[in-house]
Amino acid sequence: MLAATLLALAVALPAARALADDLPSFVHDGQLTLCTNPTLPPMTFVNGSDTNALAGMDIDLARRLAAYWHVTLIPQTMDFEGLFPSLSAQRCGMVISGVLRQAGRLRNYDAVAYLDSTVVAVARVGTPKIREMADLSGQTVAVQSGTSYAAQIERENDRLRAARRAPIILQQYPTEDQVVQQVLIGRVHAFISQDVELYYRQKQLGGKVTIILTPDYPDFHQFAVYIRKDSHDTALLQKAIDELSQEGEIAAMAKKWGISGDHQSVFTDQKAPSRFDFTTFFGALFSTAFLKGAELTLVIALLSHLTAIAISIPMAMKLNGRDSIIRRLLGLYVAVFRGAPTLLQLLFIWNALPQFFPIFREHWFTPFLATWLSLSINESAYQVEINRAALRAVDPGQVLAADALGMTTAQTYRHVIFPQALRIALPPTINEFISLLKTTSLASVISLQELLAVTQIQVARTFQFTEYYAAALVYYLAMVFFFLFLQKRIERRFIWADRNKASADAA
Amino acid sequence: MQLSTSPDPTARISIRGLSKFYKDYLALDRIDLDISKGEKIVVLGPSGSGKSTFIRCLNRIEPHDSGVLMIDGRIIDDRTNLTALRGSVGMVFQNYNLFPHLSVLDNCTLAPQLVRGITKSDAEATARRYLSQVNIAEQAEKFPIQLSGGQQQRVAIARALCMNPEIILFDEPTAALDPESISGIVGIMRDLAEQGITTVCVTHEMGFARHIADRIVFMDRGAVLEVTPPEEFFTAPRTERARTFLAQMIRH
Ligand SMILES: Nc1ncnc2c1ncn2[C@@H]1O[C@H](COP(=O)(O)OP(=O)(O)OP(=O)(O)O)[C@@H](O)[C@H]1O
Ligand SMILES: [Mg+2]
Repeated sequence: MLAATLLALAVALPAARALADDLPSFVHDGQLTLCTNPTLPPMTFVNGSDTNALAGMDIDLARRLAAYWHVTLIPQTMDFEGLFPSLSAQRCGMVISGVLRQAGRLRNYDAVAYLDSTVVAVARVGTPKIREMADLSGQTVAVQSGTSYAAQIERENDRLRAARRAPIILQQYPTEDQVVQQVLIGRVHAFISQDVELYYRQKQLGGKVTIILTPDYPDFHQFAVYIRKDSHDTALLQKAIDELSQEGEIAAMAKKWGISGDHQSVFTDQKAPSRFDFTTFFGALFSTAFLKGAELTLVIALLSHLTAIAISIPMAMKLNGRDSIIRRLLGLYVAVFRGAPTLLQLLFIWNALPQFFPIFREHWFTPFLATWLSLSINESAYQVEINRAALRAVDPGQVLAADALGMTTAQTYRHVIFPQALRIALPPTINEFISLLKTTSLASVISLQELLAVTQIQVARTFQFTEYYAAALVYYLAMVFFFLFLQKRIERRFIWADRNKASADAA
Repeated sequence: MQLSTSPDPTARISIRGLSKFYKDYLALDRIDLDISKGEKIVVLGPSGSGKSTFIRCLNRIEPHDSGVLMIDGRIIDDRTNLTALRGSVGMVFQNYNLFPHLSVLDNCTLAPQLVRGITKSDAEATARRYLSQVNIAEQAEKFPIQLSGGQQQRVAIARALCMNPEIILFDEPTAALDPESISGIVGIMRDLAEQGITTVCVTHEMGFARHIADRIVFMDRGAVLEVTPPEEFFTAPRTERARTFLAQMIRH
């Protein structure tokens, strides 16, 4: 009763405020929606093994803004590349994810800065300092993909080429922790990042890296909140940030997350971590985060494959039948969905579909549904070929015999063709399923918290990548082996197809 | 023997001017024939002469294009209830076409249950009776793959019998069998005739034809050239085509 009253109040209150105050248009229904990629500590990351527990400077700021407008914060996590497409698709009202205020982005979005920062080039401890970026000529440098460091390095390279010097070799990785890993394992010479991130990393890395250059790029001085273009909204957001800043709240958040101007204080040597930490490994293996991730992986794979099978059976029957318009359209469907990369299909359904059909940006269209939809469609295009081959492999004499016995077409399929086609289709279908189980890891780009997404978030938090990768591997292998075992068990039921086995069974 | 132009409703099967095209190709050319109850008809003719096409028209697995087909006084055309027709006209194939995923017993009980709506226990009782009639009762629980060709063909006959047909069509039932199995099939087909079942059998085995046929139907290029008792057909064929056909068969 009390809870209901509170809930009613909570719903009624923001609505009342909306009339009284002037709220930005991206705040509505009592909610402020945030898109963030929680792999960039200390700005936005997952603190602890619960993947829903977002933390960091950006999250604090978003919460404070929600409180400022008296609404609830609804955060959504996704890959960095997905942030701006999601903002455009109106899947969220704002992006706060350690994104810098840059001229290029301002063409399409509005931004309000909230924290100063500088760019740093970082290498392993012992690497000599350099005077300018051009000194990295001919060296390999890693950056996070989707960030603007890549464009900056291209501009350096244009100058290097003009001076007839070797360009900087660029490698891009989807998460910041993978970028750092490349330096640690010695594959690349340096990585480019922001100073604030490095303060945080230093604690995890135990002083294994050092800043070799602080290049002065004007475009990289401020972190900003991004919203869709709207001058009125921007003014309201600016006002909110200014007020928080004047009251010292933003400085307090920065201090809380260790973002201080004192570079050297954090660059003290600590003891090196051990090679493989079994406590971390077993901790991950039996953590609820991993269990939930694996469960989600399994459920989405099973559901998608069952849907794919259900739609691909009538498709296969039609494709094996006489030439018709429908058959040609199905042929096109198969060609398109087999031809296009699965990752592209996922991104298309998640980010492009809402542009055509606004109903797909509503809250019911979750990453789970989007993954289910796109993997089902994609998988059906492969499964249909298995079904076609299996149906064709059934002797036409079987249909003739069923016909001659007066069976209807439906009875013939149900009792004669399908049981025989199933035996032929089963091994390649299980193969497809195993491959699909692994394909689900792509769904991390649209923020589905499946096994690999959970792993990456944990790695970003702790930097113990070997342990977490190993735990994920154990889960994937366990699932795959289970299905291989299941296949063997089911195949044993098809003794009717093998003379020797059938006789042995009878004996 | 000259047949009247209208079909004979008292015959088990009465055929007048039956023709069938595959696109432009004339596969059956104005066939006239009456077959009486319990009669054993053997269809002979060179390869490609339309024998299979002809008997497939009789249970409308292949629909004919023109002419009249009458079974037990009823015209068979596109308005015919196919389930009922196939219940009264059974068929046995050269390659047996047993359902490999079902046991011998289930092969025999599937269609009666699905098509006739008979209960499982009734269907099994019937199946076991016919399986013992074709001397294969002890194999009822096996899968087709575990049986020899001759045994499989006997199962196929039992399967057809389980639908209680008045007519059974055979398309080269012995083509894949050894001589011993063939004589087994000959015996079974004689039994069928004694039960009043009409059989129409396509074959290339002259000895088999001579043993079982009441009348031989000789076909060539889609047309029926002769309908005669076997003694007469094998000793004094009326047409030149039949003579060359027989001469070739004996040489082989
Ligand atoms: N489905 C079909 N489509 C087109 N032509 C066909 C079809 N079935 C049969 N034919 C043609 O019709 C003719 C008669 O074929 P049918 O199978 O009836 O001959 P058959 O006398 O049974 O020959 P065989 O002794 O070799 O079995 C052949 O020329 C064959 O090529
Ligand atoms: Mg034939």
